[in-house]
Amino acid sequence: MTRGTRDGGGTRDEGRGTRDGLVLFVTGATGLVGRAVVARLLADPRVTRVFVLARDPLRLAPLVAADSRLVTVCGDLLLDELGIDVGSRGLLAREVTGVVHLAADTSFSQSLEDARAINVHGTRRLLELSAGWPRVARWLYASTAFVQGHRTGIVADDDGPGAGGWLNAYEQSKAEAEAIVRDQRDDWVIARPSTIVCDDLAGSITQVNAVHRALRLYFGGLAAMLPGTDASTLDVVTTEYVADGIARLALAPGVERQTFHLCAGAGAMPLDELLDVTHAAFGRSPAWRRKGIARPVRADLATYRVFERAVDDIASERVKCAVRSLGFFVPQLAYPKRFCTARTDALLGRGAPAVRDFWANMVAALAGSARDEVAA
Amino acid sequence: MTAAAPCITAISYALPGASSSVRELAAAGALESAPELLERFGFGRVCVAVTETPYDLALSAARALLEEHEIDPDSVDAVIYGGAPSTLAFATRDEAPTRARGLCGVARFHYPGTRLQYDLGLERASVLGVDQMACTTLFAAIRLARALCLAEGLERVLCVSSEFYPADAGREAITNCTSDAACAVLVSRSGDRNRIVASTTVTKGFFWRGDTMRDEVLASYFPTAVHVLRRTIAQAGWTPADVDWVVPHNVSAKSWEILMELAALPIARLYGDNIARIGHTLAGDNFINLRDGRDSGVITEGQKVVLFSYGYGAHWTGLALEV
Repeated sequence: MTRGTRDGGGTRDEGRGTRDGLVLFVTGATGLVGRAVVARLLADPRVTRVFVLARDPLRLAPLVAADSRLVTVCGDLLLDELGIDVGSRGLLAREVTGVVHLAADTSFSQSLEDARAINVHGTRRLLELSAGWPRVARWLYASTAFVQGHRTGIVADDDGPGAGGWLNAYEQSKAEAEAIVRDQRDDWVIARPSTIVCDDLAGSITQVNAVHRALRLYFGGLAAMLPGTDASTLDVVTTEYVADGIARLALAPGVERQTFHLCAGAGAMPLDELLDVTHAAFGRSPAWRRKGIARPVRADLATYRVFERAVDDIASERVKCAVRSLGFFVPQLAYPKRFCTARTDALLGRGAPAVRDFWANMVAALAGSARDEVAA
Repeated sequence: MTAAAPCITAISYALPGASSSVRELAAAGALESAPELLERFGFGRVCVAVTETPYDLALSAARALLEEHEIDPDSVDAVIYGGAPSTLAFATRDEAPTRARGLCGVARFHYPGTRLQYDLGLERASVLGVDQMACTTLFAAIRLARALCLAEGLERVLCVSSEFYPADAGREAITNCTSDAACAVLVSRSGDRNRIVASTTVTKGFFWRGDTMRDEVLASYFPTAVHVLRRTIAQAGWTPADVDWVVPHNVSAKSWEILMELAALPIARLYGDNIARIGHTLAGDNFINLRDGRDSGVITEGQKVVLFSYGYGAHWTGLALEV
């Protein structure tokens, strides 16, 4: 048993006085953002304990070892009462003052049923369980900016999820989960982060995601075009910014019943500029430049769909798979929107870093790792 | 119109006597893709040289050009020939495999360009060959001809290409149905039609083994093609809105649908009738189409026309003409 871990046998930390401080229950703490959020929560002196839900407590063992206020609770959002043992449930009910629900299935390509399993039903289970925790005064749900789906134009923080449909099951399931949270809690706070592409302004990449896989296709000379319009921008953010924002929202007073965009907003990068910057960053390598790989062109969505079908007709299985996976999120570029961040900026005292402040660094880091992989 | 700009003053072509439908090709095992797919891509029939050699077709096209336009053989300063190489140029589709052995002997020096000069009585013409340009062969020949007119003051250069597929080679190149054909184009130092106002070529040597990089070739095709089209149009001093017709190489109509959209050119301005009627003749397409477009009255005098072709897998080329 990991130090500070709850399981059927109880915990050595049980009974520690916490009633005067903030005690948070965090899901998704084993993820990239979750770890960063937990670190920030623990850095706040008001926080006396952080319970983290984990299917595998060992994954958090180093963090637990480093801070006795961190307590892992064995459990799983897929199970009734999250699979948490009776003793731990009692402890949580007595102590927890705030919930920070970060756990999500972020795959874009899954079916709606699969996406709902954690994102909707898991959220519902957590809501049901935490309904019996009387001290909870803050229920923070980490959603996504892309619950707006096909909506275009300016998106205010309070705008509800897009009614015009979604691009993938992830977007839809997060929108459905938001609705449940709003419906069942009076103390909800919803954070809507944009897509995270790197850790910080230096562009370090700890976790590879769909955006990186798309860029790798480009690096490998397999990207022909991207859907978009003259108004298309790419809104992406750093882990550092999102973790800062979520930690602040978990602890700041007076933010209940509000939605916050954790997005680049006005700092999003125009798609054409982004393609140019990416091409220039890849082109720093003479070997890559020599291949003459073309900068992908921008296509309207209808043309992009024709291209997708043509790929399906004639390309290899490798490229078909790649283009299909891109189809779950890249067409979002053809629904240009700008997220308002005024409310978040006021709360944090700063805006998100502009995409052009870290994109080239991130691309260079990605190109470096891709070259290393080829060399290996 | 600028007086001294080289022009394309005559075009003639020769197609073999036989043709096959896509379904017939499929039944004969000459296609890799399903016929339904190729039909969806716009292909209908292709021309198949059964008894004709590539040289027969080349001679027929070039002779027709001289006769139709009453060109004095003595007025032709140069011949630029491209297409099926040396001994293969004199083989029928069934003879091709055995004739190919001739490449190992002195028969490799039996060149169709020089024979063409002799057979047509082009006694004043020097002969050049263009090779390795695939479907952009005729564009390369015209580029050279234009340069020779400007640099050496040649008055008339006859550019000829003739391609064919040997019997065992199938009839499909990257989901395009292929035809046998020859095309002859006369480039003149000056003239009153088809003034060459811009010419662009991009070569990407990375794709020299295109057959082993099919995915990469597919991905690079569109962005580079858009680049070449835009550059050709800009070099001509036009905008996409100025272009009256895009005269294509006869590859998948679906790919043209995508390319026209990407290049901000309305699909209605694509002269694509021959994709279904003739298929992809490798080097001759654009010029066969231009001739047919003019003969049918669809493409008319004074119009601005852009021709584009792609030479598998490394060459993208465009030509802007004022008809």
